[in-house]
Amino acid sequence: MADLADTSFSGRALRRRTFLRVASATAASSALVLAGCGNDDDDPTPVPNGSTGTLVLAGNDTGILNLTYLLAQIQASLYQKVVTTPPADFTAADTAAFVDMRDHEVIYREFYKSVLGTSAYDNGLTTALEFNFTTYTLTTRKGAYEAARTLEDLAVGAYNGLGRRLANSSYLRLLLKITSVKARHAAFVRDQAEPNSFAGPDVISSTGNQAGLDTIKTPVEVAKLLAPLVPVVLVADNLMTL
Amino acid sequence: MDFLNLLARLADLDSTTAAPQLAAPRRAALGRLGQAGTALLPGLLLSALSQPATAGTLDTRTRLDVLVLVRQLAALGNELHSRALGLVAGYPALPLTATEKAGIQVIQQQEAQRVTLFSQLITDGGATLPTTPRYDFTGSKNSAQTALYPDIQTNPATYLLVAQVVKDVAVRVYKSQVDFVRADAYLTETLLRSHSAEARHASHLRTLRRQRGVAVKSWVSPDDAPVPATSPAIAKVYEGESGFIQTYNASDASGQGGALVSVPFDSTLPINVATPPLSAEAILRKVAEAFDEPADAIVATNVAALFTY
Repeated sequence: MADLADTSFSGRALRRRTFLRVASATAASSALVLAGCGNDDDDPTPVPNGSTGTLVLAGNDTGILNLTYLLAQIQASLYQKVVTTPPADFTAADTAAFVDMRDHEVIYREFYKSVLGTSAYDNGLTTALEFNFTTYTLTTRKGAYEAARTLEDLAVGAYNGLGRRLANSSYLRLLLKITSVKARHAAFVRDQAEPNSFAGPDVISSTGNQAGLDTIKTPVEVAKLLAPLVPVVLVADNLMTL
Repeated sequence: MDFLNLLARLADLDSTTAAPQLAAPRRAALGRLGQAGTALLPGLLLSALSQPATAGTLDTRTRLDVLVLVRQLAALGNELHSRALGLVAGYPALPLTATEKAGIQVIQQQEAQRVTLFSQLITDGGATLPTTPRYDFTGSKNSAQTALYPDIQTNPATYLLVAQVVKDVAVRVYKSQVDFVRADAYLTETLLRSHSAEARHASHLRTLRRQRGVAVKSWVSPDDAPVPATSPAIAKVYEGESGFIQTYNASDASGQGGALVSVPFDSTLPINVATPPLSAEAILRKVAEAFDEPADAIVATNVAALFTY
């Protein structure tokens, strides 16, 4: 079998809690029981608390879908911004592509919202979260494609890391249907930002026993990368136990 | 494998994960995929890692079947692109532009890398690699029948069309195969990462065709110029891609029983945000674009069969 040593399941770090679970069989089994309890989709999902501004994702499918929901909200918002105020050097083809990607992301956003129902993290919020895109340069064609590239690659890595954590196989099937379209978006925007970079070494491993495989990110890595964009503290720790 | 990683893996062991009872000899052989080979210990741990076993699907295809299939697709792609690039004796390079060549080289190299990976997973599991097939990308079975793509070794447009079809079908088939390996977390992740890499390749090939004037988006769209159905196998590649019905099952945690819920894209969901709004038909075409549909393994093996003899 290929050497799995550095696969480490999505680069999951050995954390202290993990060590404790291993250290004692009893501790390990009770920790797993607790993790198992989290698999109840009816669990109310913690919503951003007005006073602390913290969004804690639940350690179950609801938590996973809230993360993909948030990703879709962010991407739909970014594409909408570019479509509303296109860079001066955008061609008709650029606009058409951004409109397509905007529509796809809105479809994902509403799809996840519909599946989550009252478990959507923002179900009780009167105003939707506003995302901060000031780190991107959305006024130039290059900047718009680079911003899209960052988020599409992040989404592909996130989806690749979330797939095996889902308990509900019908959700996984839908996630997979979306993953490849996001990977197509990613390759397209990468090619526009830099020709022939659709599968560059920063996303597809080029050496070692993972050569040829696409990017993968743990939920905590995803939360960290999203942190500058979202106006709440995003906590994905619970998803790491799945 | 270092000790810390081993501990991390142990932590992931789930008490419910007794390996599913492997009844059929074929499945017993497949069990060795995780249990034999040089990395014996991690193999054992991985084979025990699990989502709850999904008996209904495990019965029909094994992890070995899945690995052989994805290796077959990667090997076919590797040969197709290697011939186009002039890397195979007897097959002069196609007249592609330097930029086109550079991108296709990336695809070819990543195909080769995945052939290596999947081959290793198969042989480390104690199984034998299938013999290398003989390829004829004209579809003439070495001149035994009328060629489907007679100019594929000289005309970049024909080559890019076939390359796109082969990639798009691979993307569809990967999706259906994930169901059969879910008990194996490592293999699930490997398939997922390979699946999205395939989709990137497909997108790039579509971009190349569009740059050459073909009406095709980088994502599969009902607006794409239709791919000529040169054979029933090719006609199946895009079958079912234009629908807007998406369903899921939330009645139990595993998503395997109870009533299906249909996502109301055509009624209540506020997805039509364009100014002015799109027609009802046009927004549903966008829904079709937004979801790539799975296809059974045979859809891809039938396409592969066109090009092997």
